[in-house]
Amino acid sequence: MNCLNELKKPTRRVLLKGLLTAYTASLIPFALAETVDTPEQGAFVALSAIIAGRQSLDPVLAGMLYKALVEQDPGFPQAAKELLALINQRQIDPMQLQKTLDDEKSSLASVPRKVAMAWFMGVVGSGAQARCLAYEHALNAQIVADVLKPPTYAYGAYGSWARNPTVELKKEVNNV
Amino acid sequence: MSDQLSADIVIIGSGICGAMAATHLLKQGASVLILEAGGPIDRGRVVAAFRNSTRKSDWMSPYTCSDIAPHPIYKPTDNGYLVQGGPYPYPAEYIRGVGGTTWHWAAQAWRLVPGDMRIKTLYNLGVDWPMSYEELDPFYQQAEEIWGVSGAENTGSPRSQPFPMEPVTEPYAMRRIRERLAPAFPVVGNTTARNSRAYDGRPACCGNNSCQPICPIDAQYHGGIAIQTAVDAGAQLQVNAVVYRIEHDDKGHIVAVHYFDADKQSHRVTGKTFILAANGIESPKLLLMSASDKYPNGLANSSGMVGRNLMDHPSTSLTFDADEELWLGRGPQSPSSINTMRDGEFRSEHAPYRLDFTNISRVNSATDALITAGVYGAEFEKQLRHRAAFEMSLKDVLEVLPNPENRISLSDQKDKLGLPKPKVNYAIDEYTRKGAARSHKDFARIAEMMGGTNLRYSAEGSFANNQHITGTMSMGIDPKTSVCDSYGRTHDHDNLFICSTGVMPTSATMNSTLTAAALTLRTAQHILPNRIIATEQGRG
Ligand SMILES: Cc1cc2nc3c(=O)[nH]c(=O)nc-3n(C[C@H](O)[C@H](O)[C@H](O)COP(=O)(O)OP(=O)(O)OC[C@H]3O[C@@H](n4cnc5c(N)ncnc54)[C@H](O)[C@@H]3O)c2cc1C
Ligand code: SF4
Repeated sequence: MNCLNELKKPTRRVLLKGLLTAYTASLIPFALAETVDTPEQGAFVALSAIIAGRQSLDPVLAGMLYKALVEQDPGFPQAAKELLALINQRQIDPMQLQKTLDDEKSSLASVPRKVAMAWFMGVVGSGAQARCLAYEHALNAQIVADVLKPPTYAYGAYGSWARNPTVELKKEVNNV
Repeated sequence: MSDQLSADIVIIGSGICGAMAATHLLKQGASVLILEAGGPIDRGRVVAAFRNSTRKSDWMSPYTCSDIAPHPIYKPTDNGYLVQGGPYPYPAEYIRGVGGTTWHWAAQAWRLVPGDMRIKTLYNLGVDWPMSYEELDPFYQQAEEIWGVSGAENTGSPRSQPFPMEPVTEPYAMRRIRERLAPAFPVVGNTTARNSRAYDGRPACCGNNSCQPICPIDAQYHGGIAIQTAVDAGAQLQVNAVVYRIEHDDKGHIVAVHYFDADKQSHRVTGKTFILAANGIESPKLLLMSASDKYPNGLANSSGMVGRNLMDHPSTSLTFDADEELWLGRGPQSPSSINTMRDGEFRSEHAPYRLDFTNISRVNSATDALITAGVYGAEFEKQLRHRAAFEMSLKDVLEVLPNPENRISLSDQKDKLGLPKPKVNYAIDEYTRKGAARSHKDFARIAEMMGGTNLRYSAEGSFANNQHITGTMSMGIDPKTSVCDSYGRTHDHDNLFICSTGVMPTSATMNSTLTAAALTLRTAQHILPNRIIATEQGRG
């Protein structure tokens, strides 16, 4: 099963580093030691790290997102592999990735957005087929978690929102 | 199983208006039966559904659409329930379920300004209301005490009694906006039905910032609370009861209503007095559907005005990056506004407006925009934080004048029960467009004063809708030009009353529900059982 959180058979696992070129490895130095079950899944992990631009990604969530992406589109693993190969080969900068694929009308153009939607919003698929797999753990919530709570989560005691959040942030930084 | 249900007062619709009327009448000793088309709504389930929603900015997404009593849905695809007749789209949003549409509202609880009720006299526009602001004041107060309303004193709406509670604490972002726009623009706290302290068994706001689509702790008043109060006071509530016909006798007196249950079994319900409270679109639809030989154009429609004069509040907006960190999304969603353009001589030239500042977290919309723009990698985090911190947005809330061509009518399409779907014709006239153009001068100045960059105006000529459905069953003195009198009593049927935003003859510049609630309490007081019911019995 192509699920990242199923860590049962370590002997058969692939080192992520082996799937990368020097260029992609330089984008995600923090992820190189990770192991994955298959090259396809590895491609997803590498793409996730490149697109999300975070130092670490929750492996349990990664497993859930990958599983859902494959369920939505059985062609996803292959497409992820091809996209990683393309980035490896052409050394495409993450910020240029979408534009390059769109300009070239590439058949892989939808792949980065799927990965971005999954990690940043916790949503996989579109329209009536869409599924939400993460909300407070989606990266867009995590990225601002020091200042904002995702809507429906209590901000704090009554009136706490009157405080200047930037002063609070600076205080935290000073306390570190 | 026909004819088993009966009560002194039969109310169609369990929304905030129907429910508040029910409680008032129950306290006077009347028996009340409420027929509600939709099913129950559970707060906890809605909160969970929102967290699991794949469209966090679509506030309808956590609410279930009833099979037998659909409401308009636009995402992910239009369910085609509200048929658009043009020329301008009117994508109304409402909820058909126990408690109605205020389950997902911003709880803005505005009074009119006195000039709003006399625009014909003052500015030779639209129509005058058949009552004065002073007459409405005590009913506003009653409604505010039931809801738990607070806000600034200086919003342009006079009051003879204080608010029942202190204003809700101003979010930091709004404080900065207020400080920086003073004195050119006085930014004041909105009046809202949101608790600044525990009130009537409900807690103080804790800043979840999800007032729309759902307050997880009931810190704001809504129809779900109103209907629970009515049921606790003894109202009989029949859910999944889709009223499809109002029946009259040969004198035009209403004798019964008919509803379909979930199995499309028909039931007849009798009563002495009937209150139509099925919102500004479904109510006129029901009056039109109840046409008979005696009333071929529908009930209460001798004026031909049922469904006509549809109004709302169109909005244009400006979003920009301020030059300091504001971090919208801390505290309630709709805290502050500018109220200086609600009334004045200029009204003879262009629409008045309020300017409303949002405090809705930017995180979701910014994420959407960044993904659309293909911003990935470390840059995403940087830009998301920047937008979440610096972005702010304001909108105008514009008056629309009554125009009979803007209307709700019956389409030739049918819903699952075979009942006609409503059709809407709507246009936005020069008066409103000129008001928008005027407000854009304010937008520009405000952006300048906030050090704004990256200015993004809403698309030229494009208006968002605010879901304040008004005018479709207008009150007035003259039965030839209006549907009901100032008590909501239909001119054509002495025991049929309407409680709704739809009875408002003009739209003004404020969210309309508090005015509808005040009018509802005035209607309910007028119906006082010992008066109307005794009259009915006297008639035999
Ligand atoms: C997103 C959003 C935000 C809003 N924010 C604000 C705000 O901040 N301030 C404000 O003043 N207003 C706001 N509004 C408007 C407010 O929700 C409405 O003005 C208010 O709900 C009107 O109350 P009502 O009781 O007339 O109708 P509703 O609340 O719509 O209730 C009508 C009831 O009648 C029932 N019904 C319909 N047809 C039938 C039938 N055939 N048989 C039996 N029952 C039927 C419905 O199921 C429903 O329960 C907002 C609206 C939306 C959509
Ligand atoms: S901010 Fe939160 S607690 Fe306060 S009213 Fe809105 S949803 Fe309720």
